[in-house]
Amino acid sequence: MIRLENVKRIYTRRGQTVTALQCEDLRISAGEYVAVVGPSGSGKSTLLSLLGGMLSPTSGRIWLDDTSVYEQSVISRSAIRRERMGFVFQTFNLIPYLTALENVQVPLALNNVSPVNQVGLATAMLQRFGLGDRLNHKPSEISVGQQQRVALARTLVNDPQIILADEPTGNLDPTSREVVLKAFDTCYDEGRTIITVTHDLTAAARAKRRLVLNDGQISEESFSRAKVA
Amino acid sequence: MNLRSLVWKELRERPWSVLSSSIAILLGVAALVAIRHVTVHSEQEVSRQLSSLGANILILPKDASLQNYYAADRNGQTLPEEHVTEVLMAGLAGVEKVTPKLSMPASLGGLEVTLTGILPQSEFTAQQAWQTAALFTPKKHDGCKKASHEPTAADMTPESLNTTRSIESLEKNQIVLGADVADRCAFSEGDTVELLGGTFTVLGTLTRTGTVDDSRVFAHLHTVQELAKSGEVVSAIEVIGCCEDAAGDLVPELSKLLPGARVVTVSQVVQTQVGVNRLMSGTSWFVLGILILVGGASLASAIAANVRERRREIGTLMAIGATPSFVQRLFLMKALVLGLVAGTIGCVIGLLTAVLIGPQWAGVSIVPLPGLAVMAVSAATLLAVLAAYWPARQAAKLDPCLCFQEV
Ligand SMILES: Nc1ncnc2c1ncn2[C@@H]1O[C@H](COP(=O)(O)OP(=O)(O)OP(=O)(O)O)[C@@H](O)[C@H]1O
Ligand SMILES: [Mg+2]
Repeated sequence: MIRLENVKRIYTRRGQTVTALQCEDLRISAGEYVAVVGPSGSGKSTLLSLLGGMLSPTSGRIWLDDTSVYEQSVISRSAIRRERMGFVFQTFNLIPYLTALENVQVPLALNNVSPVNQVGLATAMLQRFGLGDRLNHKPSEISVGQQQRVALARTLVNDPQIILADEPTGNLDPTSREVVLKAFDTCYDEGRTIITVTHDLTAAARAKRRLVLNDGQISEESFSRAKVA
Repeated sequence: MNLRSLVWKELRERPWSVLSSSIAILLGVAALVAIRHVTVHSEQEVSRQLSSLGANILILPKDASLQNYYAADRNGQTLPEEHVTEVLMAGLAGVEKVTPKLSMPASLGGLEVTLTGILPQSEFTAQQAWQTAALFTPKKHDGCKKASHEPTAADMTPESLNTTRSIESLEKNQIVLGADVADRCAFSEGDTVELLGGTFTVLGTLTRTGTVDDSRVFAHLHTVQELAKSGEVVSAIEVIGCCEDAAGDLVPELSKLLPGARVVTVSQVVQTQVGVNRLMSGTSWFVLGILILVGGASLASAIAANVRERRREIGTLMAIGATPSFVQRLFLMKALVLGLVAGTIGCVIGLLTAVLIGPQWAGVSIVPLPGLAVMAVSAATLLAVLAAYWPARQAAKLDPCLCFQEV
């Protein structure tokens, strides 16, 4: 379970302070599928960074089960991400000089999986996303939709409990978008926790719970109101 | 996939930027390796010359230039052959042998060679002009520490031209070939050779010395005088003293005897070389300083630029779970590979340069020194890693949240 306890994140730039996120109590149980919606600049990426152990809150605590994430060392937080989390990005963030297969191998390599097992697991994951014939293509040599599928394979290859996605369908055509949303549905069925930030209301509608961010303030939105929107 | 393959694949993606970021290290190592090789061999050559020829004295035309002992007779000016008789008649203590030489350019089988006329020692007793000098017997100078040089079996072979710079006997139609000439023209002992209209028999070939002697053809002095139509002149007279001390004492006496000539000892000749060596040695440390400054700075800035360019990639790697130390090692390893590759290529270029230009430039043949090569490559690698240390640390401190930024 994830819990935010009196979390506040303030940015200071050239003397100006911006409260990017403020949250008294937010709980996300294991296995939930949560969409976070909100206008640009409302603090969605800030929330994901805080949840991912990459951005210390100015005050408050973030719990992951019984662990207070920011009372851990940087190295332990890297290990938490490596072993328990998977990220999906709007711009995919594939490593340009690596092939599809090699990109998917990276998280395995960071977890010290042997090279032989890396190839086996990564190939299987890419095949699951219909990319069995694109293993040795670089990101620049495949379509945008295929790039996001490679990125999804990279996210899931480590079998993460928690998936954090920032606008995963923002750059995609409807067909590719459906592939991503299907993958999230499957992850939900497999019992993973999914937290996805999105502008896309149809994508948000697929989630089981929605949070609305406005100027750094989080509020719950009921299922019915989302449907109306 | 591991840290190493990640580094390697990134490097392979842009080979030109790789080369440009480490070109300063490459060139620095090349220059350093070339200069050190030439210096080390040149120093060895100087001490070899001093120990084997330290007792030798050269009598040269007054304004002959002197860079290299072996090439001293190739400057085109001449002395009267008379001087040989004058030296012998003076009966100076410490003189063991006198060998006059006349050199001229010639071509043999399409190869540019130096034809050097030399008077075999056996002639000294036979020559009419030296009847009185026939009474000449080598006199040791007072307190000579060395046993007088008795002709040994080795002195009877042509190889003695390399070891003592004299030959016991040589017929007027015989020649001895330097190592380069023998190799390039594929002549060997007993062959008949056409040279400047004359026919000669090859008496023997010499082993390689790495000096201009390798491209010489030795013939009888009087034959060369006829071919050159020069009259009774010589380019140089070598006086072989009984020991190094004798050589020092003989210089003023010979200068008094032959006021029109220039008299120098081997140690005086090699002084020039010693000076050049000292300069080169100084230069090589200067090059090392420049290598460290320029090579280190250019690599450090290249790595820093690479870190800036790959900010989002680094953020993504950290989001996926790479530790800061992994990111730091990613760039240190890259620098290590760059240093190793640039150092190795530079070392090979430096070695080739030294081996190719050493003989012409410094008159020494160069054998690769593995210790020096290993040291140069390790130094380049260490330098690269040290230079990358700061930018690599900056990379490790980058914010993983960069992964959410759009390009
Ligand atoms: N590094 C930073 N320094 C200063 N201010 C920041 C920084 N990152 C974000 N902010 C500010 O914090 C607020 C929230 O930013 P955040 O990136 O979380 O918004 P977002 O909801 O993800 O927006 P978008 O939909 O455009 O991605 C914004 O006002 C932004 O300007
Ligand atoms: Mg954002």
